[in-house]
Amino acid sequence: MTGYPEGFVSPRPAWTTGRGLWEAVARRADRAGRYLAPFLLDVAGLAAFWILATYTYAWYVLGATAYLLVPWWVLLLGVVEGAIVWESFGRSWGQKVVGRELASGSGRPTASERLRYFVLWHAFGLTGIGFVTVPPLHERLSGLALARERPSSLAPVPWYRTSAGLFTAAFLGVTMAAALGVTLTWESVVRLFTQAGQSLDFWRALVRPDTSILLEAGRDMIVTVFMAVLATLFAVVVAVPLSFLAARNLMRGPIGRPIYTAVRGAMSIARSIEPIVWAIIFLVWVTALRSPFAGILALWVHSIADLVKLYAERLEAIDQGPIEAITATGAGRLSVLRYAIVPQIVNPYISFTLYRWDINIRMATVVGLVGGGGIGQRLINYIWGVQYRQAGMVMILIVLLVWAIDYLSARLRAKLA
Amino acid sequence: MSPGQASARPRTNRLAGLARRGGSFLLDWMVWGYVAYGVMYLLNHYWYTRLPEHWYDTLRLPSWGWPVVVLATLEMAVWTRSLGRSLGQRAVGVALGPAAGGRLGLGRRVLRGILWHVTLPLAPVWIAQGGEPYHDRLSGSGLRPVVPDPERPARRALLTQWGIVSVLLGLLTLWVGWLIVGINIQVLIRRAPQAGRIWRDMLRPDFRYFTAPDPVFELRALRYSILDLTVVTVFMALVATVLGAAVAFPLSFFGARNVMGFGPVGWVTYAVVRGFFNVFRSIETIIWASIFAIWVGYGTVLAGILALTVHTVAALGKLYSEQVEGVAPGPLEAVWAAGGSRVQVVRHAVIPQVLPSFWAFTLYRWDINVRMSTVIALVGGGGIGDMLFYYKNQGDWPKVGAVVMVIVAVVWAMDYLSGRLRERIA
Amino acid sequence: MANPYLVVDNLTKVYERGQVLALRDLSFSVAKGEFLVVIGLSGSGKSTLLRCINRLIEPTRGRIWLDGTDVTRLSPARMRRVRRKIGMIFQQFNLVDRSTAIGNVLTGRLGYLPGWRALLGWFPKADREKALANLERVGLRDKAYVRVDQLSGGQRQRVGIARALMQDPDLLLADEPVSALDPATSHSVMQYLEQMNRQDGVTVIASLHFLSLARRYGTRIIALKDGQLVFDGPPTAIDNAKFKEIYGEDAEEVEVR
Repeated sequence: MTGYPEGFVSPRPAWTTGRGLWEAVARRADRAGRYLAPFLLDVAGLAAFWILATYTYAWYVLGATAYLLVPWWVLLLGVVEGAIVWESFGRSWGQKVVGRELASGSGRPTASERLRYFVLWHAFGLTGIGFVTVPPLHERLSGLALARERPSSLAPVPWYRTSAGLFTAAFLGVTMAAALGVTLTWESVVRLFTQAGQSLDFWRALVRPDTSILLEAGRDMIVTVFMAVLATLFAVVVAVPLSFLAARNLMRGPIGRPIYTAVRGAMSIARSIEPIVWAIIFLVWVTALRSPFAGILALWVHSIADLVKLYAERLEAIDQGPIEAITATGAGRLSVLRYAIVPQIVNPYISFTLYRWDINIRMATVVGLVGGGGIGQRLINYIWGVQYRQAGMVMILIVLLVWAIDYLSARLRAKLA
Repeated sequence: MSPGQASARPRTNRLAGLARRGGSFLLDWMVWGYVAYGVMYLLNHYWYTRLPEHWYDTLRLPSWGWPVVVLATLEMAVWTRSLGRSLGQRAVGVALGPAAGGRLGLGRRVLRGILWHVTLPLAPVWIAQGGEPYHDRLSGSGLRPVVPDPERPARRALLTQWGIVSVLLGLLTLWVGWLIVGINIQVLIRRAPQAGRIWRDMLRPDFRYFTAPDPVFELRALRYSILDLTVVTVFMALVATVLGAAVAFPLSFFGARNVMGFGPVGWVTYAVVRGFFNVFRSIETIIWASIFAIWVGYGTVLAGILALTVHTVAALGKLYSEQVEGVAPGPLEAVWAAGGSRVQVVRHAVIPQVLPSFWAFTLYRWDINVRMSTVIALVGGGGIGDMLFYYKNQGDWPKVGAVVMVIVAVVWAMDYLSGRLRERIA
Repeated sequence: MANPYLVVDNLTKVYERGQVLALRDLSFSVAKGEFLVVIGLSGSGKSTLLRCINRLIEPTRGRIWLDGTDVTRLSPARMRRVRRKIGMIFQQFNLVDRSTAIGNVLTGRLGYLPGWRALLGWFPKADREKALANLERVGLRDKAYVRVDQLSGGQRQRVGIARALMQDPDLLLADEPVSALDPATSHSVMQYLEQMNRQDGVTVIASLHFLSLARRYGTRIIALKDGQLVFDGPPTAIDNAKFKEIYGEDAEEVEVR
């Protein structure tokens, strides 16, 4: 025996082992992240503010579009320095967002402590050198640390008395000024009043719909409903198996995780592209200028992406208990899937599918606008053809259809729950 | 999962009410009507096309045809209801069983079907009495609500009449839908190479005009780059969300049952506001945009904003109102009891309760509005979609690819942002 | 112990995250037909121990011999064959809520069923009859076709027992089977376990919270504290001092009647 008392831990430094080294690095990275997060937020916030302010200034004063007005490196230097000043001498927006504040060991930070922190952050924080030690060098030398904000028993300071509050207000103000300026041009607002008569024709026609087109419009409605039904059905066939690949709790390990990431990423991209844009792409693909087929393909792709997300989120929330129990009976993997997972997800899956069907009915009218067939196509043709009374009839039909399906899907889903 | 639910045979002596009888009957009739529609469609498609008179894709029938269809579907409904458990009966949860004990054999079931026709003229009598129909009474059968039997397994769904009918309906839907929608896999495959070219072009995006205005794309004297229009698009969504929420917020209280009370004025206000929400919500943003484009000019950003705002008001108003209706009644009573007015109740008891979910819904709506604003230009609503559709019409796919990528990035970023903020609120 | 049925040898389990040592060098053996009760505070490693025996949790170090085979070395396929002879019941019952009682009970036969039949849900008639018989045995024949989310806690645990009975187990692992139940129901559930132990000769290893239940039903008790064995002996050998050692100085014994 070595003579160490029982339970004595070997004196070897922790970082000489792989795990110890990993932990030491992780601790420093964690510490660096604690400083970096508010700093990056401040830099991003200040930069965004500058860009928005410039944009507004350029829009109103110069009558042009401009984002920077200064070279990009000047802006970068300015916001970095601004962020450091703000964080050292006040309570910055970024610090407030992450819920931390500069705290001194001896009560309130003094001006000289803040000044030291300001200088030291340049040397050690920005360069990253300081984070080699725990706690970081600038923290040790300045006596200030970025600590979790302490709950105060004093009445909260009103937002207009804090720099972060004022910054947020100014930010929102500039944003709204820019947004309103860009979107509400004077001519268009004038047209809103001068051309009201033109739209009055439309509204008047809406209350005197043309019922003679009822039969043809009805047939297009049937096409629309079938588009939604088939797109949903075909989407389910693809989305159900994919959802298992997109569930974080089922896809573990070196093979599972990349598959999970890939499927989730692809679905996320597909979902970000509106069905209308998909319809345009598919219209070019299947060549027919006007075809419900292109519409259904567009709905199909978008539905798959949406359903996979909904399904996978449900899968991630399943109860692990039955899985454990069925595994314990000696059942194989497929049996566990069939008896522990599937019963838990059948009803939610059907419910999501009905919900998506409901959405697809709306979307089917919309993809019709680009030539995806169905009732939407008829509507846009009427509107652009100045056949407002017919358009009014179609709109009434759409409202009724959407209502009916909405009601039906809600009722069925309530029954499933 | 395996042995399904409990067995479904009627176990009570209470007969099904008129509503369930009538409802299930109508449902069955509609099911067979749908089948008739499908069959006629298929006949039109496969058979009538060979006739000299071209009836393809229409639903034209000879003059005697419609009565035949109506009667045939009615007969099918009656017989499926008598001979087994029909889809309609299953949907409302009733089943046909013997009046007394024993089994309801085929003989009595057939008898019931025949008696249905015989006693049809007398239907108003038993309906008026609200009692048992004559065909049931005379055939010794009764339609009763189903109470599951915990000791006996149910029959497998696929082996029952309604199970088979459901599967057949599904297949019919697929077949008819396939034809109606015009699904054509051959075209899809044949033209895959051309589509492949498009995809390749889009994946080699042309970002030359990301910050510099594209001279080809000159929109109403304003020279826009992709970035400029992206900013405009996001601003459109922002303005519409803020305006929409600002209008929907006060309106939502008028659309809430518990705030409006049950007096005549309150009821009318409630009905009008809710009706407005429902109608305006059912019309998609993009259709609104096509209407406003007529009004304020095609391709105007304002048209897009108005469309987004109108839909936002209706959608948010409904969500807000439902939240207001779902508040805990305790605090309301407390303010009432303290002698508060209706406005004070809303201010001090309702708003504090609903504000977090209002924020969450607004952020969610902001997310939707960003998505919608990217495509609203299609019908003249302005924004980045202008560029997308312009380049697409030019067949300039690398530029389309660039725009689509920017759209994906923006939608993604806003989705993430709104999701994170909502998490913080919740 | 002349013929140990289960031998646990230097079992150690370290959870990856947070470096938690759940079990430390645990060794004991169990004879066939014993009713072994594992006691200890929450977090003392009882659940981990039970799950290591049928390898729902992979042990970090150490061996477990069950009837002469080292289960820690078995391939997944062989492990499944061993598992089907090990019944298990759980604190939270772990039933499939949306399924009927008999549907849950039948899953106990999955280890014996060929994969394709299991997928289609074609259980042999004999299995169905056995399921009904087992439900009869736990007094739930009249609830066979009721969804389990409509049953009470005690009834659900009895469904869990029937599921374990379907496996014709040689060994039953019971992970805090009565913690979620009230005292009266607890005794009825424990009596079913006792019955299995006495009549069918099933070796039972149950973890329990209450010492009074352990004394009443166990033929032998082991106690865990921080993943280590602190007591091993007959129920009568636990006196007040031992009790304080296991449960800590502040603990007070509670009687479950």
